[in-house]
Amino acid sequence: MRGPPPPEPVRLLSLEEEARVFLRLRATLIWETARTMLTGSRLRLSLVVLLSGLFWGALYGLFVEAFAFLDALHANVISLLFNAFFSSLMVMLVFSTGILLYGGMYRSPEARLLLTLPVRAETIYAHKFREAMWFASWGFILLGSPMLVAYGVVREAAWPYFALVLPFMLAFVMIPAALGGIACLVLVGWLPRLRLHAVSIAVGLACIAALWLGWSLLTQSRADAMSAAWFERAFARLAITEQKVLPSWWLSSGLLEAGRTDRNGQLSVSGSVEALKFLALLIANAMVLQLAAGWLARRAYRRGFSHLTGEVPARRRRRANWLDRLLTGGERAAGPLRLLLVKDLRLFRRDIAQWSQFLIFFGLLGLYFFNLRSFNYHNAYASMIGFLNLAVVGLILSTFTTRFIYPMISLEGRRFWILGLLPVQRDQIVWSKFLFSFLGGLIPCAGLVLLSDSMLGLPRSLIVLHEYCCLLLCLGLSGIAVGLGAMMPELRESSPSKISSGFGGTLCLVLSSLLIMVVVTVAAIPTHLFLLARTLGPTVVAEDGLLAWAGGIWGTTLSLAVVSTAGLAACLIPLRLGLVAFRRLEV
Amino acid sequence: MIEFDHVTRTYGPKTAVSDLTLAIPRGELFALLGPNGAGKTTSIKMLVGLLHPSRGSVRICGHDVVADPRGAHLHVGYVPDEPCLYDKLTGREFLWFIADMFGMPRHLARGRIDREIECFELGEFADDLAESYSLGMKQRLVFAASLIHDPSVLVLDEPMVGLDPRSVRIVKDLLAARAREGMTVFMSTHTLAMAEEMADRVGIMVRGRLRFLGTVMELREQVALESTSLEQLYLELTSARGEER
Repeated sequence: MRGPPPPEPVRLLSLEEEARVFLRLRATLIWETARTMLTGSRLRLSLVVLLSGLFWGALYGLFVEAFAFLDALHANVISLLFNAFFSSLMVMLVFSTGILLYGGMYRSPEARLLLTLPVRAETIYAHKFREAMWFASWGFILLGSPMLVAYGVVREAAWPYFALVLPFMLAFVMIPAALGGIACLVLVGWLPRLRLHAVSIAVGLACIAALWLGWSLLTQSRADAMSAAWFERAFARLAITEQKVLPSWWLSSGLLEAGRTDRNGQLSVSGSVEALKFLALLIANAMVLQLAAGWLARRAYRRGFSHLTGEVPARRRRRANWLDRLLTGGERAAGPLRLLLVKDLRLFRRDIAQWSQFLIFFGLLGLYFFNLRSFNYHNAYASMIGFLNLAVVGLILSTFTTRFIYPMISLEGRRFWILGLLPVQRDQIVWSKFLFSFLGGLIPCAGLVLLSDSMLGLPRSLIVLHEYCCLLLCLGLSGIAVGLGAMMPELRESSPSKISSGFGGTLCLVLSSLLIMVVVTVAAIPTHLFLLARTLGPTVVAEDGLLAWAGGIWGTTLSLAVVSTAGLAACLIPLRLGLVAFRRLEV
Repeated sequence: MIEFDHVTRTYGPKTAVSDLTLAIPRGELFALLGPNGAGKTTSIKMLVGLLHPSRGSVRICGHDVVADPRGAHLHVGYVPDEPCLYDKLTGREFLWFIADMFGMPRHLARGRIDREIECFELGEFADDLAESYSLGMKQRLVFAASLIHDPSVLVLDEPMVGLDPRSVRIVKDLLAARAREGMTVFMSTHTLAMAEEMADRVGIMVRGRLRFLGTVMELREQVALESTSLEQLYLELTSARGEER
């Protein structure tokens, strides 16, 4: 039944007008975000730009070397490499866009607002889709662009190749992103009960396939690793990614055609034309999928939102587990420090975002370390890789301390009246966070360093040195995160990501990175000088020379002193400053 | 203006709203009361289209909220219990976004935005980013946004949460004035004094059913108590003894 016309001057917008309103909204949001960053977070912005530039440059250099190596030895495998790379990215983009869209379209307060306005469901979908696609694919652009530019440079491709790289990438990401959006709409709109099972099964299958592929590649004969035969066997297993119906194949074929030159090394017109055909194929498919997704959104979005809003959250009873009982000392009354530790441990256990990221990052690192033996590193390499692995463990720990530990004291802000009314000293709150971070970081990190060193076959003395450095890093990183968190609490903010992305969080990350750099570099120098002196022999290295001294017992002692001082200073100074500031804090 | 026609909504095995039939005419200020979990928020979510009824239909100005959501939303202003704003928009930019969504011409939208900013005393912070607003400031801005297009129906879910006494007075006066001009107001509230002071009719929901519908005076007659406060009448009706009546 149609009702009366709306009161003047209100009217329904056309599809184009709706799109314009949302574009204006997006432009304003981007402008305000950029303005806020330029005025309030210059350090963070500079750091992001600098690190992104460094990352891009390092990847570019790495890919130039890799393509030069492959071009000389295995020129025919580049197509296979592109296909494998783009097809795996395609799968990842489907999942990541689908998950991001689920959060944006069905679980965000913004969606609740938009659904109560007179706007089409497909317009809201398109608005959230653009956001999800950008968040899901910026990594692909950052990772893929140095690779593709490096390929063009090594192949001495003509200008059309470089001009087409970005359009190809953009057209490509639209396809898996739209597929992710369609899967999300269908699962929520029509199969709400199957949603969790379907996603779990798909993710499980993808993980099993990735593990099988990785395992089969790494468990090949190790004797001829990196040889031509090794590459051929490895790539034969990836031939499945060369299906002509896959958009990843269209992308890699189009790029290879665009990079083709004639016999004189000049621009190949036929290659460029072929490349444009592949680009048109990608764009046409992306547009068709967009239309299909819009059609689906019109039919399924509001219905799916209603399904989800009407779902009854599962009630789960939680009880103290063995770890809580162990930490609190069973039936006996535990001290406030222990109780605070147990509280933080419970919150960590029940926050899936925290432990799942912890598990994924450290799990992947463990998998990599577990397979280090496959690469048959020689002694000098093994030592260097051992130190690099130590640095990687430290860097991952520093991202966790910055993202999760630094905001912990700020997050107590809204609950501060609870802690403030309890017989707990403020120092105990700070110490409990420190202990939580230190113990929580030390156990997995020490285990990972031991695994890495064992797989590399390093001598016991080096293992002890790495473990000592790991201990110092855990102390230092925890001290920095907790100390700065207590010095600069943002008690009104409830979002940990916003707290960690502010000035204090950025400073925490910078100081943590510096500490890791100092500890690992200073600890690694005597080891390498020792190995260098041993390799060059007494005929080249004078026994009383600087090289021999630095690589000997005095050099090692000095480096240990520097490393210990840096680690303890990074722990104690911020912690001390944090304790003083937190005692004086007026809430 | 608002019609609930034999509306039932279930959450799995639980019935949140059971066979709700209710019609609220133009210009009426209606207050929906009830204890926690009675079905008030579910009814409001169905009214604004966030939740579809399991059975029955909801219509606003004749537009079925499920079949023609855009047509229905064109007539509605909605103030949710938790205000949702864009952190990186200023209050004024947010009001412009809402005005654009309702297709208002620019010159008219400008006048309406200034009117609402003045009415809700937003001028001091209208050009600051919403991320710096307190809860009360956010709530006032959401009120302004919900009224910018002069809706025929205003839906309010716990509208006074976070507002200071002065803002509460402004909102009460405004609702009374707009209702006199013909706007229908549907609000859920726990503030019994407000319902008593403002509502033309009240509905009391208990466990998904509309236990009472009428004026406060009629409620007194039905419960037949000597007490005169709405609070006592409400407690009587929502108690186990009251349910047996």
